[in-house]
Amino acid sequence: METLLKISNLSPRARQFVNWSVNVGSVLVCLLVLPTRLPGMELLGIGPNWLLIWVVAWSVKRSPFHGAVAGLALGMIQDGMTSPDPTHALSLMLVGILTARLQKQRWIQEDFISVALIVFGMTMLAGTVTALQYLLQGSRSWAEIWVAHERITLSSAILTSLWAPVVYYPLNRWWEGTKVQQS
Amino acid sequence: MFTLRRWWDRHWLQVVLVGLTLGTAWVIEQTQGAAIFEVYQSLTRPFQSNPNQQEKLINARVQEMLVQLSQLQTENQKLKQLLGYVAERKQPGIVAPIVGHSADQWWQEVTLGRGTKHGIQVGSYVMAPGGLVGRVVSVTPHTSRVLLISDAASRVGVMVSRSHQMGYMRGQDSHKAVMQFFDKVLDVRPGDVLVTSSVSQLFPSGLPVGRVESLNLQKSPAPEAAIEFTAPISYLEWVVVYPPTSE
Repeated sequence: METLLKISNLSPRARQFVNWSVNVGSVLVCLLVLPTRLPGMELLGIGPNWLLIWVVAWSVKRSPFHGAVAGLALGMIQDGMTSPDPTHALSLMLVGILTARLQKQRWIQEDFISVALIVFGMTMLAGTVTALQYLLQGSRSWAEIWVAHERITLSSAILTSLWAPVVYYPLNRWWEGTKVQQS
Repeated sequence: MFTLRRWWDRHWLQVVLVGLTLGTAWVIEQTQGAAIFEVYQSLTRPFQSNPNQQEKLINARVQEMLVQLSQLQTENQKLKQLLGYVAERKQPGIVAPIVGHSADQWWQEVTLGRGTKHGIQVGSYVMAPGGLVGRVVSVTPHTSRVLLISDAASRVGVMVSRSHQMGYMRGQDSHKAVMQFFDKVLDVRPGDVLVTSSVSQLFPSGLPVGRVESLNLQKSPAPEAAIEFTAPISYLEWVVVYPPTSE
């Protein structure tokens, strides 16, 4: 809270600048954690999907448009880091839009478990979208994609939802704080 | 016109920010995340292991030598029948630590802590104690990204070193692959050793790859074999990179 008090002394422009550096900085941290496999972050060789957590955290209390833009941008970056074929932009954009459409705060006040559940569902959805893209491409057989989808999506969904609060909690605190200041 | 003007006055900042965000994302995509991997490399450098201190993988090294030996024996027999064979000269490799894994679960890739500054180029092939591991698909000054042979997108031309029967291999997960043979009638047994084939364009021939685990001869259109990699791909900490084969 102390930092927030200091920020309230800043001019609106400077405040906005600090806010955007926090956004960009947190994305950068997620991107840098992506290639690491620290102990406890791995299940059957599969790590959590940090970018998806960020997109869900961002979209949960924002409009579908905001969610779509964040998903598109992070999806494009992840494409650059892996391969653009099949694209991540589509799945993350969908995750952003749907998370915003849920309008969670209207139904549930509680944050931790509901966000973890949303992340779980969204990871399954993103995995399914990727699998469907592979299917349309036709480079792999149906059975092969199904086995890979089952193996990847389930462990990824469990891990990602367990790690979700680590990203969600500090970011949400920050965004709540800045919202209070603006109003 | 007036409404447009009012909308712009109210939303210009948002439009600019959205444009900026998507523009940056696009640039990162086009450069294949080079900046991110460079930052990653400089941040993780203090935590990286020193390749020279790795003694644990000696066992895998012995296995690689056994594979190479059996390959050399068959090759030697063939050579006795041939004349005028020009020996290939082996170039020195670059030892590189593995600093990162793939940024998504659907791809089997690793990031190495060496790049163009150390002489690595796109198309270089990557070996580890145990055998072939993959191929460099993109490089930055200090990092390079390797598509592993365990990725479903990487197809390697392989042959059974005992009977010289050819086929190609497709990755499945971190320690398994499927090989499809070109022939219908096979002389292959579980336990046979696989090496890269002489018709492979991406890799030099005779690199140890894996071992036949089981066979499915009824499979149509071509018989298949389940392959187990000889290199322990998921436990690797460092690899050796060799320059591309094409002249």
